[in-house]
Amino acid sequence: MNNLSSPRSPSLETIVTILVWAIAIGVSLIFAWIVGDIAWRGIGELSWQFLINYPENAGREGRIAPILVSTALILAVCMVVAFPLGIGTALWLSELTASASKLGRLVGRSLDILAGVPSIVFGLFGNAFFAKTLGLGFSILSGGLTLACMVLPILIRSTEAGLRSVPLDYRLAAAALGYSRTTTLFQLLLPSSAPSLLAGFALGLGRAIGETAALIFTSGYVDRMPRSLFDSGRSLSVHIYDLATNVAGGDAKAYTSALVLLMLVVFLDLGAILILRKWLQGET
Amino acid sequence: MRPLSTCMAIALGLGLLSCGNSTTEEKLVLTGSSTVAPLVSEIGKRFEEDRANVRVDVQTGGSSRGITDARDGIADLGMASRSLTSEESDLQTFTIAFDGIGIVLHQDNLISSLTKSQILEIYTGDIDNWQEVGGNNAEITVINKAEGRGTLEVFLDYLQIENSAIRADSIVGDNQQGIKTVAGNPNAIGYVSIGAAQESIDAGVPVRLAAIDGIEATLENVQAERYPLYRPLNLVSKDTPEGLTKTFIEFARSPEVRDIIEEQNFVPFSP
Repeated sequence: MNNLSSPRSPSLETIVTILVWAIAIGVSLIFAWIVGDIAWRGIGELSWQFLINYPENAGREGRIAPILVSTALILAVCMVVAFPLGIGTALWLSELTASASKLGRLVGRSLDILAGVPSIVFGLFGNAFFAKTLGLGFSILSGGLTLACMVLPILIRSTEAGLRSVPLDYRLAAAALGYSRTTTLFQLLLPSSAPSLLAGFALGLGRAIGETAALIFTSGYVDRMPRSLFDSGRSLSVHIYDLATNVAGGDAKAYTSALVLLMLVVFLDLGAILILRKWLQGET
Repeated sequence: MRPLSTCMAIALGLGLLSCGNSTTEEKLVLTGSSTVAPLVSEIGKRFEEDRANVRVDVQTGGSSRGITDARDGIADLGMASRSLTSEESDLQTFTIAFDGIGIVLHQDNLISSLTKSQILEIYTGDIDNWQEVGGNNAEITVINKAEGRGTLEVFLDYLQIENSAIRADSIVGDNQQGIKTVAGNPNAIGYVSIGAAQESIDAGVPVRLAAIDGIEATLENVQAERYPLYRPLNLVSKDTPEGLTKTFIEFARSPEVRDIIEEQNFVPFSP
């Protein structure tokens, strides 16, 4: 191990250290810049009124209440569908199939490819399959289901990694104690892989909430308060896109909406962390 | 925690489902141009106000998509921010508004009218001094629109050039930014929606609209389709519209929505 800090090149060591620090600071600065810019331009219009009233004049005036509701419903549909499917597939991949088996490899590879597919492809697929073939039309349901397809690979891969990181000894010990597979799963595997499960959930939610291309053709553009899951509803990201590109003079509201979206992501992530802490405390 | 929130989401969903299916309502679906969508969205809201059982759903995706959807019957009406081509002549179009684009100069600029070829040469960099078109001896500051703006497309389409051919000194985003840039530079030339320019001129901003080939950039000239730099905003229908569709088209072309159209910086169809 002592060859890591070779006495010959102390200057190289310093350079690498400085470089790594510089990169880390640089990346943080870019992030801070983006957040700062959105906050700076968006905060002026932000108020409770902005969140609880209806949009007017194509979003130039008025607020985002129906859009927030639509966004929440789309996300709810997405997660309610994706979560059980994701955990199920991850369990199958990590517990019931050898990772080297043909089928396991095929599924794993497919998921990786699926994760890299551009979101507009999901959008067009969702439009063709959910909206037209299944007859759901432009609706929150179509949008949520399309998003579920999109976040599944993220959820599955992250959950699978979590399950695989549980040491084999745990499983052997559980088997030695005479635990059934189901008990092992609920008492042991899921709690110990909870952090990565939740990380996957947060990542998936993050991708879903920022999605525009997949939603324009599925959940649609209507900025009315949705009355059912079969209604079309505009998500926050679609609203921002529309204000920024199609509505002259919509820039200010676009920034405010972006700020709301950003805060939403932060709250959801914090919420996920809190739930995880509670859960782990409850288990031990 | 997790099962609880799941249950709540499902309950919320079911609750919303149950109240959505009760009424017998008529639904009008429009898809197409992202330029027309915000306008029709607003018209739709006013249309719904007096008709309790009517819903107008507006979706975007571009003019071509609107035309395809109208043809396939997926949408009741398509929206297109251009005239239809000869291959699309099987469809009926109903113009609801115009998007007129004006050449904006600073108030102190001596030029009152430019020809199409002069505009082309100014924007492609062949003319770079106002003297060459009869103005002061001053270099021209060319202001172009950012990629993706509807006005840019109309402008390029009018001059029959690609955006890469334009030699711009400055790129602006929305109409307001374009007007402000010209107001701050006596030698600048830009182009914006006529409605937005007129609004600023009325508010005392030191800019004015130049005529093209001697035709003034007025709302009347756009309405009469005399002024060359404009595009029609159309509703597209496969068959002769009937019932609710017909009522909606008539409503969208009536003076009742004039203020909405003007608010979106377009020129109303009705005089």
